[in-house]
Amino acid sequence: MVLLALLLIPFLTALALMLARPTNTARHIALGSTIASLGLVALIWWSYVPGQTWVPVKFDWAPTLGLTFSLGYDGVSLLMLLLTALVFPFIIAAGYRQNLQHPSMVNALLLFTQSFLFGVFTAQNAFLFYIFYELSLVPVFFLLLYWGGERRRAITVRFFIYTLLGGLMLLFGLAYCVTQTAPISADFAVLHALRIPADTQVWLFWALFLAFAIKLPIFPFHSWQPDTYTMAPLQGTMVLGGVMLKMGLYGVLKFVFPIVPFGVEHWRDTVIWLSIIGALYAGIIAFRQQDLKRLVAYSSLSHVGLLCAGLFAWNVYGTGGALYQSFAHAVLVVSMLYIVGALKERTGTSELGAMGGLKGKAPRLAALFFLVMINAVALPLTQSFVGEWLMFNGLWQVDGWMAFAAVATIILGAVYMLYAYQRAMLGPDRWKMEMPDAGRNDHLYLVPLIAITLVLGLYPAPILDLVNGPVQQMLSTLTALN
Amino acid sequence: MNTTILAALVPGLPLLGAIVIAALRRSLKGNSAGLLGTLAIGSAFALSVMLFLGHDPAAGPYTAHLFNWIDIGGMHIPFAFQVDALSLTMMLIVTGVGTLIHLYSIGYMHDDARVSTFFALLNLFTFAMLLLVMGANYAITFIGWEGVGLCSYLLIGFWYTNPAYNYAARKAFVMNRIGDLGFVLGLAWLFNVTGSLTFTEVFDRVAGLGPDVLTGITLLLFVGAIGKSAQLPLFTWLPDAMAGPTPVSALIHAATMVTAGIYLIVRSSVLFELAPFTQDVVLYTGLVTALVAATIGVFQNDIKKVLAYSTVSQLGYMFVALGLGAYSAGMFHVTTHAFFKALLFLGAGSVIHALGGEQDIRRMGGLKGAIKVTHLTFLLGTLAIAGIPPFSGFFSKDAILANAFDRSPVLYALLLGGALITTFYMFRLYFLTFWGAYRGDKHPHESPAVMTVPLLVLAVLSVVGGLLNLPHVFGGHEPMKHFLAHAADGIGAERLHLEASTEWMLMGLSTALVVLVIALAHGRFAKKATLDPEADELPFLPRLLARKWYLDELYERLFEKPYGWLSTMFHRVGEGWVMVPLMNGAGRLTQRAGQVLRLAQTGNMSFYLFAMVAGIVVFLLMTLYGR
Repeated sequence: MVLLALLLIPFLTALALMLARPTNTARHIALGSTIASLGLVALIWWSYVPGQTWVPVKFDWAPTLGLTFSLGYDGVSLLMLLLTALVFPFIIAAGYRQNLQHPSMVNALLLFTQSFLFGVFTAQNAFLFYIFYELSLVPVFFLLLYWGGERRRAITVRFFIYTLLGGLMLLFGLAYCVTQTAPISADFAVLHALRIPADTQVWLFWALFLAFAIKLPIFPFHSWQPDTYTMAPLQGTMVLGGVMLKMGLYGVLKFVFPIVPFGVEHWRDTVIWLSIIGALYAGIIAFRQQDLKRLVAYSSLSHVGLLCAGLFAWNVYGTGGALYQSFAHAVLVVSMLYIVGALKERTGTSELGAMGGLKGKAPRLAALFFLVMINAVALPLTQSFVGEWLMFNGLWQVDGWMAFAAVATIILGAVYMLYAYQRAMLGPDRWKMEMPDAGRNDHLYLVPLIAITLVLGLYPAPILDLVNGPVQQMLSTLTALN
Repeated sequence: MNTTILAALVPGLPLLGAIVIAALRRSLKGNSAGLLGTLAIGSAFALSVMLFLGHDPAAGPYTAHLFNWIDIGGMHIPFAFQVDALSLTMMLIVTGVGTLIHLYSIGYMHDDARVSTFFALLNLFTFAMLLLVMGANYAITFIGWEGVGLCSYLLIGFWYTNPAYNYAARKAFVMNRIGDLGFVLGLAWLFNVTGSLTFTEVFDRVAGLGPDVLTGITLLLFVGAIGKSAQLPLFTWLPDAMAGPTPVSALIHAATMVTAGIYLIVRSSVLFELAPFTQDVVLYTGLVTALVAATIGVFQNDIKKVLAYSTVSQLGYMFVALGLGAYSAGMFHVTTHAFFKALLFLGAGSVIHALGGEQDIRRMGGLKGAIKVTHLTFLLGTLAIAGIPPFSGFFSKDAILANAFDRSPVLYALLLGGALITTFYMFRLYFLTFWGAYRGDKHPHESPAVMTVPLLVLAVLSVVGGLLNLPHVFGGHEPMKHFLAHAADGIGAERLHLEASTEWMLMGLSTALVVLVIALAHGRFAKKATLDPEADELPFLPRLLARKWYLDELYERLFEKPYGWLSTMFHRVGEGWVMVPLMNGAGRLTQRAGQVLRLAQTGNMSFYLFAMVAGIVVFLLMTLYGR
């Protein structure tokens, strides 16, 4: 019942917001809802016994299709729930400074997204997962379409078509898998026990993986991402970069690895190299970006490439590190985008060329930006370092050259982030006008996020313990298969 | 007190100092931030001394285990410190010299508006440096390694309104990161083959590894050392790093951080001893860097730049020692260099302070009467680095030269030549600064006691530091070598086959030549009244050296510009011409195919949802039916 409540809290709040349309209190209500969800997830985490899979909710929905409404979680799901629940209050809170029109609708859409995301991360049935997976796209679609920036129609449609295309492939692959079961069932437990012939797995891999490759996205399926991230309203970008792309990661773990292990074995090197190439490619592009938001988009693309490479290293360090990093990345994206928003609020632009010398007027904001940035460049004792460190080690176990190419991203990251920081904050003060430094609200927002990255960078055990069990278990079943 | 707690407090106090000063930076007035910072480091020094006195080197390393840091699968990385002869030596240098430099900074940074931030960063740096040298495994060392890089970045760019300083800071960080690429890869490889990163465990397990693996790992670790310790081809960041306040140059870019690469190799001596090829690479890199940097130093006119190139050059000597397998000689030179180079930088700072910010030695001269303490201490530091007996630099440099002679007389001759160039540019610096007539227009005044006392202490250390490792020919027993041999296995294997008479001869030769060079420098620079021309007006060879072999320009052409160009190209061509059109094409295809379905686009959200779910259902039914 706890899981149902988890889905219903944001869903019902969103519905209420949509119907009642309060203008002034919409953000408070939404924030309250997300905090309640966070509390609930914390409770689930508290009572979680490591290494177990809980499936407390299970109804038959459409048995002929193998569709059951079953919700549950293991350590990896819990990690995803945790990061979703953790960043959403911040995403909602970012809205206080945005002053978008129709706040009740914006917040309703965000809460719908959260509800569907909770669904994605708890679904124990592949069709149910798919339904939530596609549903989560709908509110984001409207968010981009009505509250986006320039060229929002063209970009949103492109984004939508692109992801839908991947989704259809997934549906096809999924349907194929379900037809192989007897009696018909799309429960993950059943699908994971399937033994699909190795040569079938070779093509089925792409049917299942393409959707996630687009969602993450990895090179060369990424071209929707920079435009969409840049154009989307700040909160939309936070949702996309902070949480939604983790669906891709999670999907790979739930669909691709257990169902088509031979396919993974066949394509693993290809996927890792594509991911790393993308990480380097995006990291190089980020250097010369003029728009800070677009720079963050390319930076995220670079980080995600590394994430996917680590994931496909397919050992406890690579995969565990990628999961750890997905948490770190969520915190990073939200805090970095908040900085983008805070700078835009003060200077009226996100063009780096138009900024410069802000530290003189806003030293505290500069300090906060800097603390966020050291997480972005994965300095030791920040959360990102733990994830990247594990992924580098995982990749080395696969191939030294892969590790070499992957580690090269730490140079690119330092190059573009420090350059961006310098262009925005350092140099002579050229602002004639008064400019507020980071105030109480900015601190309330960023300090907890920075604290999380530092605490989990110094003591990563809470998260590592969560993923260690499930990842080891998954890898041992895979070894047994081979 | 419990040794674990004691060991944890050594880096803990500077961290605490940094946090407290940063938190209270607005309410700390006057010298209170400086006093707090100095107190934190001073206490860490006192604790290090306690640890040193309580340490029994024969009992082997003491591990202070705090908690498990990264623990997943087969990877168990504890957050632990190792207290042994090597880490204690480094701790004493870092906290000891660090305390003096903190104290000095109270005077030097007195008028700066962001003095609290400065001391917070200086404390934070010391914390990171202590992690680096105290870590019981490579991962903790790497935390410190990156941490000192970050603090170095922040302190080089401390005066952030100057774009050139910001550029220098960024350059330092990025070049260090290039080195870190090697370091991280080396660690990943090491972990892959030994299953551990804890020093004691790794060193027990390396014996069975193949020579290729060991060569690869040690080369990668050395790449890290090249970046951090400013060796060719990555040394160009260090001269630029002089943009930071002078105490920063003394602490970070002379005495401590830049020696991290030497520490790393001494710590890993077990690995390097098994990889002779890497040892040769270390040797020749150090040799070439030592000579190249020394030749550049002759033509610099910025007092700090001269010292910076001298640092690069001296670090080269230390690497030569390591390449020869003379780890104790390398560490000995690390120690004495920390004394006299910190002294020289702080002395230079005192000169700059006296002249209100002037750094060009062409506009100095005749200062020995005006700033007596600074002059005296600077002279002692110069004599130490030149290698005049019985100053500390003589003994440590002689140890390296003796080991070089043992390998090959040619190597010895080259290093001796480098030492003579060092003597030449250092005395050029000294004479141009303190002798002759004053060529500037400021009113020199001696620095306050808070600055001169550290100078005096460091001067004493620079003079007597040689006693730490007094060689047998002088009746000493090389105490430092024997102490360190307990910690670094490579030191136990050191052999030096020189007759006492040969040693005397070599020392006599080098001393005579050094004195000769000093006389030469005296003749050329002691009474100089005219200014040297700008670098661009020099003839070709001096211009080449003054322009540091045009390395900066070369790197700019070779890497910086092409990288920016690549970034633009990837964006414009890769994204603009290939990726997006490709996807648009796919999209347009879909759109054209869906032209008919456009009728269904009513703009009604519930209809979309319904259509989607209905579509799923129909699709499923079809698959099921078709089976």
